[in-house]
Amino acid sequence: MVYYLMVCRSLTYAQRTAAALERVGITARILRSPKVIDREGCSHCVKIPERSLTAALVVLNRAGLAPKRIFLQAEDRGLREVGL
Amino acid sequence: MIYLDSAATTLQKPPAVARSMAWAVNRLASPGRGGHPAARRAAETAFACRQAAAGLFNLENPEEVVFTSSATHSLNIAIRSLVGPGDRVLISGWEHNAVTRPLHGLGAEVAVARASLFDRQAQLEAFAAGLAARPAAVVCTHVSNVFGFVLPVGEIAALCRQREVPLIVDASQSAGCLPVEPEQWGAAFVAMPGHKGLYGPQGTGLLLCGGGEARPLLEGGTGSASALQSMPDFLPDRLEAGTHNMPGIAGLLAGLRYVAGRGEKAILARERALLRQAVRGLRGLPGIRFFAAGAEDAQAGVLAFQVEGMDCEEAGEALAHRGIALRAGLHCAPLAHESAGTLEDGVVRASFSDFNTPAEVERFVWEVARLVRR
Repeated sequence: MVYYLMVCRSLTYAQRTAAALERVGITARILRSPKVIDREGCSHCVKIPERSLTAALVVLNRAGLAPKRIFLQAEDRGLREVGL
Repeated sequence: MIYLDSAATTLQKPPAVARSMAWAVNRLASPGRGGHPAARRAAETAFACRQAAAGLFNLENPEEVVFTSSATHSLNIAIRSLVGPGDRVLISGWEHNAVTRPLHGLGAEVAVARASLFDRQAQLEAFAAGLAARPAAVVCTHVSNVFGFVLPVGEIAALCRQREVPLIVDASQSAGCLPVEPEQWGAAFVAMPGHKGLYGPQGTGLLLCGGGEARPLLEGGTGSASALQSMPDFLPDRLEAGTHNMPGIAGLLAGLRYVAGRGEKAILARERALLRQAVRGLRGLPGIRFFAAGAEDAQAGVLAFQVEGMDCEEAGEALAHRGIALRAGLHCAPLAHESAGTLEDGVVRASFSDFNTPAEVERFVWEVARLVRR
């Protein structure tokens, strides 16, 4: 499966983000950001299925919850940043 | 024992508070510090508590809810964020040492908006006059911890907004029984304990942050931006260094849910009914001076009194021996006593919670009557 990881500025922000997505039926899981994408050390991200990205961005934009950065996680678990 | 010292801390809690704390001790690790189930459960509990507080206080954003160890801790953060040495600060004459001592420690120039006890209009006018001098900040208690005086915080907040002076509200005695509206007030900070009217455990407090610069009182690990040596610039992490008090937060969540379920209006109505009953009872007793407002909206569930010819501590002690738990002395608020003219003698304070009953108030009055007729 391919996923998107949305990096958030804090755990609480990630929780708000996940709650906003779950409310509209988008599966969202909070996890600690992989070290390779974590510029400042220790952050949290919200993991969503690939198919949900567009809907998720619409919901988050409406809620004023912009992710800091977004990464595509490929099936081989490799990560690639996606331009916002 | 009949416990009438809820202005210090509520002792009777909803049963869910102790249950939640006991559950938390072995099941909740450190929120944000790991991906394992115990850390995730802790994160979920902390977030649920922030959401419950945000819901109760009409805050849109739970990130503005900061966990502290007490209202004193919260007030210290708020005051040190806004006030520097030599800054002029306007406060009410009913403030607790949790406000006055940090201001004194900072070397601030403190101006007091003085007004008579229970005179809300005079209090408002005193703030209006004091604001003309353009203070760096206003600090105002919502309810006096000694006399239960409900200050017109909404109107004082409006004056502060007009003058663009940041406002810190001490909601220690009002959170859980009166509407606390940080966003409507436009307050820079609202501080409160978790262990009084929110029925959480001791060791918990909240600071509601309304934007603007928040200066950390403690610096250390936050589980975020760990590679940086400065504290994160985002809330709540900026103000929450160190491991969270998860049993306390779990207990506070249960307390917040109780308050939300009961409703602040219902709790206030009960406390005021008990207050009226106590006032009626004490009114008929010789040698008792009590401090009651003429208008009901000027007083919450706190009643101060003096026993003629008896030291207040002696009266408090005598009533404690008769099974009535009260607080005597200066209540860590010498300024409030100075404002009311009771600094020399102090008072005995009865304060009510949602768990007190009319039968308890009847017994309290009866024991005071026995004391004065001895």
